[in-house]
Amino acid sequence: MAIFGIAIGVAAVIGLGLLAEGLPSSTQSALTEGAADFSVIAKTSNTDGPNGQGGPVGSFGGQELINQTKIGEIQQISGVGSAVGVLRTMTNLDNTTSTTTNSSSPGGDNFRSMTTLIGIDSNSISMNDIVITNGSVYSNEANEIIIGKSAAERSNKTIGDTISISNQTFKVVGIYETGNFQDDGGIVMSLDKLQNLTNNTGKVSLILVKASNGTNSGKLATAIQEQYPDELTTSTSLSGMDRMNQGLDVINTAVWAISLVAILVGGIIVVITMLKAVSERTREIGVLRAIGWTRQRIIKMIIGESILLSLIAIVVGLIAGIGIVEILGSTGMIPGLMPSFSVSLFVKGIGVALLLGIIGGIYPAYRASRLEPTEALRYE
Amino acid sequence: MSDGNIIEIKDLTKSFDGGNITALDGINLEIKEGEFVSIMGPSGSGKSTLLNMIGALDKADSGQIKVAGIDLMQSEDFSKFRLNKIGFVFQLHNLIPNMTVHENVQIPLIETDVTDEEMIERSAELLNSVNLGNRLDQLPTKLSGGERQRVAIARALVNHPSIILADEPTGALDSRMGDIILNLLREIHQKENVTLVLVTHEDYVANSADRVINMMDGKIVT
Ligand SMILES: Nc1ncnc2c1ncn2[C@@H]1O[C@H](COP(=O)(O)OP(=O)(O)OP(=O)(O)O)[C@@H](O)[C@H]1O
Ligand SMILES: [Mg+2]
Repeated sequence: MAIFGIAIGVAAVIGLGLLAEGLPSSTQSALTEGAADFSVIAKTSNTDGPNGQGGPVGSFGGQELINQTKIGEIQQISGVGSAVGVLRTMTNLDNTTSTTTNSSSPGGDNFRSMTTLIGIDSNSISMNDIVITNGSVYSNEANEIIIGKSAAERSNKTIGDTISISNQTFKVVGIYETGNFQDDGGIVMSLDKLQNLTNNTGKVSLILVKASNGTNSGKLATAIQEQYPDELTTSTSLSGMDRMNQGLDVINTAVWAISLVAILVGGIIVVITMLKAVSERTREIGVLRAIGWTRQRIIKMIIGESILLSLIAIVVGLIAGIGIVEILGSTGMIPGLMPSFSVSLFVKGIGVALLLGIIGGIYPAYRASRLEPTEALRYE
Repeated sequence: MSDGNIIEIKDLTKSFDGGNITALDGINLEIKEGEFVSIMGPSGSGKSTLLNMIGALDKADSGQIKVAGIDLMQSEDFSKFRLNKIGFVFQLHNLIPNMTVHENVQIPLIETDVTDEEMIERSAELLNSVNLGNRLDQLPTKLSGGERQRVAIARALVNHPSIILADEPTGALDSRMGDIILNLLREIHQKENVTLVLVTHEDYVANSADRVINMMDGKIVT
């Protein structure tokens, strides 16, 4: 019974821990060398901003835009290594092409659903984690774009093809990767082009900031926020990563919640089992006391047994936990899952169970040690 | 301690249930070192309670009690005293069921200065002397009542106690087994010159002692 309870606890900690640690390890690789430390965005006020739905293309999801002049100002703040403006929008390429009269448009018939459009100076793409894997970067002046790896696969487009966006034709000159699933499904072009396309001249969605060497980026972010208390705020995670991280947070929280419940249940079961064992062995404990065992010796015995109990449960729980993860992994129920069997996780699981054994044994051991030998001996 | 008394008790009282039950009502008793004393009396007269006081299993309310030179009215843990001076034999249920016979006898010596080798040697020797040398590795559940009681006696002796306190050790046994246990205790008492205090209901058992004490309503009557 107790073994079962602790085993469930260990299995939960190990199994869920494996899942939870597996997910971030596949996303964190996205952070590249040149990447920005944080982004500056407009402070969202609930009043409807003048921007966002202005352009013929895309939606800004309610995100207010920032005046481009802020980039220069931020660049002047001490500690800022570089600051670059980015305009982000979502568009449905199907719709834009369907409104064109040009039926032979090579535009993305195969682009389904919403596509992210990112406008950024071609010299600063590394700030947004963009790495060109094929071809070259676009020129800031020509109608050139680069497309994300998964966007390329999805739309069957490659270097040299053209895509029509809002009645303008763009040439694909490169394929890029960011490691961020949302951005990898998108299209990147120069900031000017996207601003023109969306009628947002002089506006950006966010400013990516990289601290200069030796500057604490957290402090810098705070400094910027303090300089524009009503207008700007900062976010340490970049754009699409936000959502990913939020998802991970939810999973992590769920993992801990479930683990916590499992641990609690395991702990309660340990206490109940050991209390039952103590009461069943009241007479035995009385005999041991009569023979000359001290209270401490009784406490040691009960806690020792409680630890033994949890050790057995650990073995069962480990096997169950790993088994569940293996099965989940092999059925492919969670795509992209890479369980990371880290030592620290096992140590965590075993540590938790051992702790349960000790803590769960303390109260029953205390009870046992308080038994009066005469009372215990009279007990039938 | 005067006149070689190993047990000295004066005006000892003990009550239970917040004073509603008077188990010991002014006991005065002296027992000499090496003496064999039996205690008789009707059920509820306080025999076990008195034995528990001598063995420091319980604390008296008032009076004086000194055993083997130790004042048992002090408030402290007397585990050490029991370990070093006392050997208990109870009426029944007094072995640890999931330990072998051999281990049961060794329990009192665990975590003492006695080495493992000596523990095993002493235990085997004692179990031999109670004719259980061939049952060392069995669990107590496999033994008869009389055999279990002999294991208990071996265990009571393993720490070389000064006093053996036996509370109706033959009570749960048939008379033939009872005789064997009784003879064993008497033999040990004579050979080791250990003080033996034996609670019993049976006259013939009591009469084999050096002295018989009769109790009634928490008092010694003769
Ligand atoms: N722990 C206790 N709590 C309450 N009452 C107790 C306790 N121990 C003994 N008593 C009471 O004290 C009195 C003496 O009990 P004791 O066990 O000493 O009698 P006894 O002479 O050994 O009887 P028996 O021959 O039946 O073993 C009895 O009335 C008993 O109910
Ligand atoms: Mg009794």
